[in-house]
Amino acid sequence: MIRRLGIVLLFGSMAPPVLAQSPFVLVKSTLSYHMSHPIHHVDGTSTEAKGKGTCGGAKCDFLIAAPVNSFKSGDSNRDLHMIEAVRGAKYPMVVVRTTLPNPIPADGTIYADLEVQFAGQDMHYPHVAFQKSTSGKQIQITGTVPATCSDFKIDPPSFLTVAIKNEIPVSVSMTWQPQ
Amino acid sequence: MRIPLFSRFLPCVFLISVPFALAAQNVATASLPDAPDAAQQQSTQQPGSSSSQQTQPAHPPDLSDLGFSPQQTRSDPQLQARLERRTHMLKVHQRLGLITLAPMAAALFTGGMAKGEDRDGGPFRAPSDANLDFHAALGGLTAAMYFTTAWYAIDAPRIAGTHHRGPIRLHEALAFIHGPGMIATPILGIMAYRQEQNGERVHGAASAHGAVAGITIAAYAASMLAVSWPPKFLHRH
Repeated sequence: MIRRLGIVLLFGSMAPPVLAQSPFVLVKSTLSYHMSHPIHHVDGTSTEAKGKGTCGGAKCDFLIAAPVNSFKSGDSNRDLHMIEAVRGAKYPMVVVRTTLPNPIPADGTIYADLEVQFAGQDMHYPHVAFQKSTSGKQIQITGTVPATCSDFKIDPPSFLTVAIKNEIPVSVSMTWQPQ
Repeated sequence: MRIPLFSRFLPCVFLISVPFALAAQNVATASLPDAPDAAQQQSTQQPGSSSSQQTQPAHPPDLSDLGFSPQQTRSDPQLQARLERRTHMLKVHQRLGLITLAPMAAALFTGGMAKGEDRDGGPFRAPSDANLDFHAALGGLTAAMYFTTAWYAIDAPRIAGTHHRGPIRLHEALAFIHGPGMIATPILGIMAYRQEQNGERVHGAASAHGAVAGITIAAYAASMLAVSWPPKFLHRH
């Protein structure tokens, strides 16, 4: 009896301080690009992004991805043109990676370095500001990625022979939850 | 009862190892900036804070971890080529459509000059041949450019699985008005031309030439406006 108890206690005490990596999942998201043209503005939105975060050591790694063809602007013709312009059939996913300190800073403004894969190009956005708030177990992150067409070697699409502005900021609203 | 030496030491090993394990957890937490206390960690369940006892680096998540289907992540260069051909053809369609507006508007304005005069019950005065020919030439040019423009849209590759949404639906629906209108207008114009060439007043179906042309141009203009709707000043951002 004592031997069994001893074995149990021994293995119990030898359990490493880390077992699970406590992954976080993206439960809800809205990603919107904004496009400006002399005649009109366009917003294309995707709610189909998926994401995961794992924390270990002094950092948390996050990965967020969305299919390029999931961005809808309300006009199917324009959306197809967008997919063509950003080479979305050849590179169908937009992938964002970021690392935050572990534990993640408290609510308020947090800064993240983003690695964005899009349109066959990799782009680094340093020190992008996001707003973080916590509600129960969920964490809301909002912010804007200052993307431009030239960052990803995208020929700015034109309408009535006039090109859109180079800036295509992407608004981000995400809700994360422990898995 | 004789207890083996190993078993006798087990509780001691446990008692010694527990403080070290707890200390390791505390070090892992305390060494990081903004480390919340244990209660806060449990209540907020922040990424990282919930696993405050973690000391080992985690594997960064991979795209395959996210659960996208292979169809969603698969590269399709053939589709990209189709999209590029489609965009090219629709750009030509757009440019030709804009250029077509010029002879169309000119034909509209010269329509009045190509009309016979019949005022105050006096004798009918047929339009001059020059006016008629000029108007007919503009009409012919308009029709030729219109159908060339239309061909670039009709022949553009269709993308499977695309459901038409938004202003493009109105743009396409209006083609069912200006398309037949662009067929009927020249036919009625030729009929009217022949009647006027014979010194007759334009009569019968030919008398609808001007009205049909007007409706056709209005539908064509609306079709162009539809694809640029809503304009910037109406956009609520």
